[in-house]
Amino acid sequence: MTTPAKLSLQSLALTLGLIGSAASADVVAVVSSKSTVTSLTVAQVADIFLGRMSRFPNGTPAVPVDLSDGSAERDEFYVKVAGKTPAQVKAYWSKIIFTGRGQPPKAVPNDFDVKKYVAANPDAIGYIEEKMVDDTVRVLR
Amino acid sequence: MAPVAALADDPAPMFSFGGFGTLGVVHSSQHSADFTSSSAEALGAGYTHDWSAAVQSIIGAQVAANLTPKLSAVLQVISQQNYDASFRPHVEWANLKYQFTPDFSLRVGRTALGLFFVADSRNIGFANPWVRPPIELYSMVSVTSSNGIDASYRLHMGAASDTFQVTVGRADYKYPVPNSNASGDAKIKNQISLVDTYERGFATLRLSYDRAHVTIPAFTPLFDAFSEFGPEGIGIADRYNINDRLINYYGISANYDPGAWFVMAEWGRVDSHSILGDTKGWYVSGGYRVGKVTPFVTYAQVRPDSNTFDPGLNLSNLPPYLAAPAAALNAALNATLSKVASQRTVSAGARWDVIKNVDLKLQLDHTNLGANSQGFLTNTQPGFRRGTGFDLINLTVDFVF
Repeated sequence: MTTPAKLSLQSLALTLGLIGSAASADVVAVVSSKSTVTSLTVAQVADIFLGRMSRFPNGTPAVPVDLSDGSAERDEFYVKVAGKTPAQVKAYWSKIIFTGRGQPPKAVPNDFDVKKYVAANPDAIGYIEEKMVDDTVRVLR
Repeated sequence: MAPVAALADDPAPMFSFGGFGTLGVVHSSQHSADFTSSSAEALGAGYTHDWSAAVQSIIGAQVAANLTPKLSAVLQVISQQNYDASFRPHVEWANLKYQFTPDFSLRVGRTALGLFFVADSRNIGFANPWVRPPIELYSMVSVTSSNGIDASYRLHMGAASDTFQVTVGRADYKYPVPNSNASGDAKIKNQISLVDTYERGFATLRLSYDRAHVTIPAFTPLFDAFSEFGPEGIGIADRYNINDRLINYYGISANYDPGAWFVMAEWGRVDSHSILGDTKGWYVSGGYRVGKVTPFVTYAQVRPDSNTFDPGLNLSNLPPYLAAPAAALNAALNATLSKVASQRTVSAGARWDVIKNVDLKLQLDHTNLGANSQGFLTNTQPGFRRGTGFDLINLTVDFVF
């Protein structure tokens, strides 16, 4: 009888804990559990993924890893952190790429690959569905 | 942008390919002159074609290579209408970039000039809200690339960043001679440009300065002839010639784009100290995004800031056999001075993001030419009247791949 209540309390705690974090609700920004980074503002996450910032505020290199173009979580992530629709993200990168100023982040096909890449790379930052979070990665708040 | 030869542990793919393009038509209500989107285009809409596909259409391809984690190379080739009306492709950019630190890089080769807010992306329709950046400002500096070196340094200041870019180089620019198959050359040397871009949140502010020594050999015979007329002629030649002439550009740009809407404004001034005149241009533009559709309006204006007429040689002091050639020289001088552009344009249009990498744009422009000005129109015909107004209808499809 107590099990359902306990579960719902856990999920409530998880949800509350994520409010105001770098990427709220279903998609969360994560770094490796080996990373020294513990928190970032939404604007800092946006700057890293849009290539405007190449280091974390503590000075360590930041290597963003994206989900492939067309993923619903990717679209949600960019709307939330940068206020950009998929078309605006595409237009933004067209401008950066075709003026020789940079390349978009490396992209992998799904959350599993993001988590695997982030877990193995202390400089990496990615975003995954919150239910995918385990002890190999740390959610940024 | 499809990465190839990517290894799982690579921070980035070794090579990336991509391309962009615009297919579009432009119609002008002024049938006695051509509208072109830049001074490099030979033929336009209005006189040459009722509906011209050659004014806005462009295709570009780019390959970028990460040679080492710090060294990269980029090559971009573009096909668009040239000074001779051909679509022969040219190398827009080809450079090597060395990233000393994440915030400091050096590029060597042919690089983009970023004096205006979208100067370096003016060819990429998909990256911009309009069919074309307002020509009232963007035609003031037609050169888009520089052969030389540029350095870029970015400074982070809390939530803001400031990027300072210095470009040193030279360039050649070919332009069509109106109503002929001929072309001319402009040689740009000792060019130094300083661009400072401040970004904070959704706001961007840019200050630009550029100086260069410009030579346009086509004007040399005219001023050599003026110089034959003694001190008065030499004085005119010294004032107007464009032989290694120092030209300055100053500009300021501001942009605010929180996502759902945008406003931007730019102002610039060119001091050519020559027959090309001095001009001031500016525009203000805004748009509102409704789902996949972004309607926008723009007001743009360019005005001469120097005389567009010169009395020239005083004919009354000359014997009749010299007065006739002197009058011809005066006429030639004033024919060019009167071409210093003066016009204003109101534009309204919309961008529709059809699918993720394709947009469709419709833009209507109404231009009023300044008194006795032909604005940026070219290939003017006998029936053409200066200082009038005309309308443009622009329809384009932009894509990236």
